[in-house]
Amino acid sequence: MSAMDMNKTPELNRLTLGFVPLLDAALLVIARERGFFAAQGIDVSLSRENAWSTLRDKVAAGLLDGAQMLSPMPLAMSLGLERAPCDALAPITLSRNGNAFVLSTSLCEQSGAALGSEPAASARALGNWLGQGRRPRLAMVYPFSCQHYLLREWLALGGIDPDRDVELVVLPPPRMVTALSEGQIDGFCAGEPWGSLAEHYRVGRLVASGAQLWPEHPEKVLGVTHSWAHHYPATLAALIRALVAASEWLAETPENRRQALAWLALPPYLDRSVNHLDSLPLDTAPIHQRLYGPGVLRPDVEAMGRIAEQLNRSLRHVERSLDIPALHECYSPVHFDAAMHQ
Amino acid sequence: MPPPLNVLLVDDEVVRAAMVEEALVAEGHRVICRLTSPASLNEMVARHQPDVVIIDMESPDRDTLDSMALLNRENPRPVVFFADQHDPDTLQAALKAGVSAYVVDGLLPGRVKAIIEVAIARFDAFQSMRHELEKTRNQLTERKRIERAKGLLMKHQDCDEEQAYRMLRKLAMDRSQRIAEVADSVIDILERLSPRSSDPTSSKQGPLP
Repeated sequence: MSAMDMNKTPELNRLTLGFVPLLDAALLVIARERGFFAAQGIDVSLSRENAWSTLRDKVAAGLLDGAQMLSPMPLAMSLGLERAPCDALAPITLSRNGNAFVLSTSLCEQSGAALGSEPAASARALGNWLGQGRRPRLAMVYPFSCQHYLLREWLALGGIDPDRDVELVVLPPPRMVTALSEGQIDGFCAGEPWGSLAEHYRVGRLVASGAQLWPEHPEKVLGVTHSWAHHYPATLAALIRALVAASEWLAETPENRRQALAWLALPPYLDRSVNHLDSLPLDTAPIHQRLYGPGVLRPDVEAMGRIAEQLNRSLRHVERSLDIPALHECYSPVHFDAAMHQ
Repeated sequence: MPPPLNVLLVDDEVVRAAMVEEALVAEGHRVICRLTSPASLNEMVARHQPDVVIIDMESPDRDTLDSMALLNRENPRPVVFFADQHDPDTLQAALKAGVSAYVVDGLLPGRVKAIIEVAIARFDAFQSMRHELEKTRNQLTERKRIERAKGLLMKHQDCDEEQAYRMLRKLAMDRSQRIAEVADSVIDILERLSPRSSDPTSSKQGPLP
């Protein structure tokens, strides 16, 4: 693609992107509210989705132009792991880190699991307590997600077999805190603000973070189908540039971070679930949510290493193995570089 | 006659769920209705062993159902997403109507398709019913907006109700807009001139004293 091609007017001027209420939807919200999409000549509507599977089906069927996706999702879609294969791409990363492991307050008190500098310590505390014959129910957000893989790795650190010693269930992130307070689940792994909100309501405590296990892992990406990217290259370039501009704006000042939080608190986005926060909690321990910084948004096959390894492990159950060319195609920086170097 | 199938219906729209249930029962199926509740969906599926699960596509419970086949490999009755039945037309119609379906692996595709088509038809019927209701509701608020604009004109132009209405009608004709649209711009302009008069309850009483 030449530089001239990239400066072309977007083929679409109105489009709809899906999101799930999470702090790492921030770049999409900022790009819309601060006018970075508009500056690129695109009018973007954001559609709040209640479930990851619905968001995935809508992107696959063309009901959404693209969406905030869990980083393993475009690869799982391409490989046809959940349903009919649909070639998908992650042309830009939207966030790194951001996940928290939360256990109910009573489980923390009984097991002695607590947050420390070593994630293995809380996992071992839980593992020792489990020896007494209990089988807690732990929730994560989707089978092909960092939350699922991180939870398995963390449990393994405590000598806990994730298939036998605990019951793993799937719940969408906005349901986690209520499910925990009502005793439907005993703990969860999910993105912010849901972990800190559970602490705020005193129904659970943070015992470890995803960043402690896999520092700087790609967490959310923009996901589009291969055919959409092929048909609308200038629109995709415009999306990438707007999201990069949103990230740079966010990096500028603390006021911008507070303003971003105020936008996220609007009813169509995260609504009251962020009222306990004073500003976007970026790069604070232990979660280290990252939405800006050198190299944060550029897709990176290397950074997907741990995720691909876990995905490959789940493929063994269906007697398949990871398709390496598909991995490279999914997380190739080619669209990002083309959009940014003109 | 083929044996009835167990259908689990997960839908928060009570009226729509009743419509789907009635139609499926008429076809001879057994239907279990479930509102989204704190009860665990996993347990519900284990207890009722449905052959087919029909779920509102917008339901937050979808991820839980979607993951069942993947997480519980030892499940004796694997539930698979309907898309795996390779019927793109029905799938597209289902997506448009907002119907998602999960079926027990190995069920005759024709029987499943009949059930899903019933659900799609009822979801569509419910949608047009709701659309009609919304239209009526909009007309109501439209009338209120026109009343509000009349009230503002009466105050600002010091005229009676009849004259205010004629003014609106003339503006509408001049701009080839609907009266409700003209009313909106009148409200916009006049309320900005005197923001203190923007009492939302005043439209019924006419001009403020």
